[in-house]
Amino acid sequence: MSAQPRPEGIEGSRLAGPFPVGAYAEKLREELRKRARVQLFGEVWNLRVSKAKVYFELRDGDGAVPCAMWRDAFERLGLAPGILSDGSQVVVAGGPDYYPGSRTSSPSFSFDVTGLRIAGEGDLLAQLEALRRTLAAQGLFEPQKALARPALPRCIGVVTGEGGKARDDVLAGLRRRGWAGRLVWAFAPVQDRHAAPRITRALQDLAAVEEVEVIVVARGGGSLADLFAFCDETLCRTVAMIRVPVIASVGHHTDRTLIDDVAAVSCSTPTHAAESAVPCHPLEARTSLARCAASLEAHGRRAVVGRARHLAALSRAPAQAIERHRTALHQRLRELRASARRRIAEDRERVARRGVVLARKTAAAAGPETQARRAALDGLASALAAHDPERTVARGYAIVDDGAGGVVTSAAQAGRLRDVRLFFGDGRADAEIKDIVIHEDPEEGA
Amino acid sequence: MSTTETYEAATARLEEIIRRLDSGEAGLRETLELCQEGRGLVEFCAGELDAVGRGLEELRLDELVARLEQRPASAPADA
Repeated sequence: MSAQPRPEGIEGSRLAGPFPVGAYAEKLREELRKRARVQLFGEVWNLRVSKAKVYFELRDGDGAVPCAMWRDAFERLGLAPGILSDGSQVVVAGGPDYYPGSRTSSPSFSFDVTGLRIAGEGDLLAQLEALRRTLAAQGLFEPQKALARPALPRCIGVVTGEGGKARDDVLAGLRRRGWAGRLVWAFAPVQDRHAAPRITRALQDLAAVEEVEVIVVARGGGSLADLFAFCDETLCRTVAMIRVPVIASVGHHTDRTLIDDVAAVSCSTPTHAAESAVPCHPLEARTSLARCAASLEAHGRRAVVGRARHLAALSRAPAQAIERHRTALHQRLRELRASARRRIAEDRERVARRGVVLARKTAAAAGPETQARRAALDGLASALAAHDPERTVARGYAIVDDGAGGVVTSAAQAGRLRDVRLFFGDGRADAEIKDIVIHEDPEEGA
Repeated sequence: MSTTETYEAATARLEEIIRRLDSGEAGLRETLELCQEGRGLVEFCAGELDAVGRGLEELRLDELVARLEQRPASAPADA
């Protein structure tokens, strides 16, 4: 360390010095380390484990002390993984320590923990749950949800940290939505003991501006201790009473602060909160609106132009209309006639088919009797044929005729006639009887 | 058009009008009246969309309050 000339002190001051700050910091550390080793109890918040040390804050309702414990001392405790977490109540042993810092590193104060014991469930979480139940019982979760949210707000208010990433996310969400209206920022600290009243004030101020139609409250992730400002009772009651819808996006989607319960809508990210603030997608709405306009025009035109054309047609050519009707009627008549003809032909065919079937049935029913009659008839025909003189002549016989149509049946008769006619199968021959021989009749002679 | 008309109410009425016209049940007079009302609603909705499409305007709350305080009482709300 280079020796520097000591500057003059402040005029009029009776305090000792001025001393070099490094020497004073070193002295301060010595003094703090002299303080008695004690045990403290409270709740663990903001637990984080680095390569060399374990850091956390020990809190209760009245205050907090930053703590640090060597990593190997912490490992020696043999605690089950996850048993020490935000909200755990512990007893720690140790004493205050001070790191003086240097030209390039910052100073820090912490309670140097040498021993630790898990003491039970966190009280702050229990208080939080009790407050949640109280607010719910008083109906404070409902009013915001009953508010009508505009589909297309012209003016959106946003409460967030001025330098936080949430600010960029809200902007990105609105741009993604295609929204480009008026955005009013109400910046407030979002993490420390001053945060809750400042956020409350920002909300009240935004709600007091008439043109603000919806308010987004956004903050990025962190431990529950970091988000504790959003569990503040006054802030939550204010949100519940505001007549402008509030969309909350605080912490990660696993975190649940009280403002998430009282707000109109709770979103998992600031981007989603921004999109929820504009339920109607402006780009899609524009397309839909153009479609509606086109449909209206088409209906209007059809209604007027269609009727006008009809009227014009009627007034221009009534005769044509009548002719059209006449042609249509004739056509109809032709169709009717053709249809009737078709039906008659079908009926006729059906009747003929039925006749054939009936004849078959009748024949089948009268079969045996007919066959007997036919047999008798055949017998008579045969008998008749047997007596047919033509058939006899054909076998070589001849019929003798007396020339006047009478049949000559004896030689004696032939002898008396002298001239006869002989009929053969193929023709006639005229003959003259020369002589006759009469046979003796044995019976007559007897 | 009523000054208290909201975008969502306007779009809902517009859809109702289109449904009625599409049904083909409206006579000539009703069709023309509905078309006229529809055109008014389209104009209103287009105006609302234009209002959120002109370009994102970012203001701090104190700037907005100062601007509102400077505005004469008779000035229109969106001047």
